[in-house]
Amino acid sequence: MEGHQRNLYLYDRFDTQVVGVSRDDVITLQYWAKDLGITFPLLSNVSGWLGVLYDVQPGDQPFFNRRTMIIDKKGIIRYVRDGSPDYKDILAFLKKLNREEGQP
Amino acid sequence: MKTMFIISCFLVVVSLGSVCSAHETAATDNAAQTVPALKPGDKGTAIYDGEYEFMPPPSPWELIRGGEGSDFVFGFYRKDPGKLQLESTFFAYSDEPYGYSKDIEQRADEFLKRFFWSSHVKMKVVDRKKTTVLGAEGLVLVLEGKDAIKGTKVRSKVILGKRGDRVVAFYINQWRASDSKFDQAAFDTFDRFAGSFRFLKKSFYETL
Repeated sequence: MEGHQRNLYLYDRFDTQVVGVSRDDVITLQYWAKDLGITFPLLSNVSGWLGVLYDVQPGDQPFFNRRTMIIDKKGIIRYVRDGSPDYKDILAFLKKLNREEGQP
Repeated sequence: MKTMFIISCFLVVVSLGSVCSAHETAATDNAAQTVPALKPGDKGTAIYDGEYEFMPPPSPWELIRGGEGSDFVFGFYRKDPGKLQLESTFFAYSDEPYGYSKDIEQRADEFLKRFFWSSHVKMKVVDRKKTTVLGAEGLVLVLEGKDAIKGTKVRSKVILGKRGDRVVAFYINQWRASDSKFDQAAFDTFDRFAGSFRFLKKSFYETL
């Protein structure tokens, strides 16, 4: 998450909004965001339906697997990576996508 | 309205701990694919991965590779003599130091919140001054901490500088038994490393 915060100015350049999603409650996320200085939206999804939707809900466990997805302006998921975010890979992909979408 | 979205799924409670273990795995995987080379440069310098040139430490310092996902690019480790196993010194270069601000003073404060977080040692800043790093504005911090229960102490020096518009860092940590002396020679070696450091090409971010 700190890496995303570090790259916000670059996401702006590629017209991209980052959103974090977790099963933690709002109070936990508020405390965590304040402690780490995170300014982008963190979504609390305690019931976990988003995890089922994005296939990151491991059985009955009360947490999501770590996964990063990039969704384009048509709503199509264009990028999926599991585990810790690879920030350079994300930026390189956004640059490519931004170039594609800028083409007529 | 932005045209693209990044959705990042995570869990707060274990994320700090899991980041560390996941990063170690990533660093190992990367190392198995391509191992960045350390080659000799001119006038006694060394070149790491064709990108970073610096004065290397003398033997017996051992190269430690970090890489993508790690909190440092590379560093050097030395096991020091002493009664405790942890008596050692490690210094490194990091192109993604803790924190996120592009302002060095603000980044230093963010960095200090995370630095030594996992060791549970309360670090005290004993010196903080502006300086020139990599030919531009920079900041030097000297920190010390003690663990009364384990009977250990640690001294660190952190140098924050700029590469393009992003903050980079050099840092050294030296662990000792509480009643042992710190070795200033290792800090001098670190200063030569950081003072001689230069980039041979533009960073990923400068070419993005």
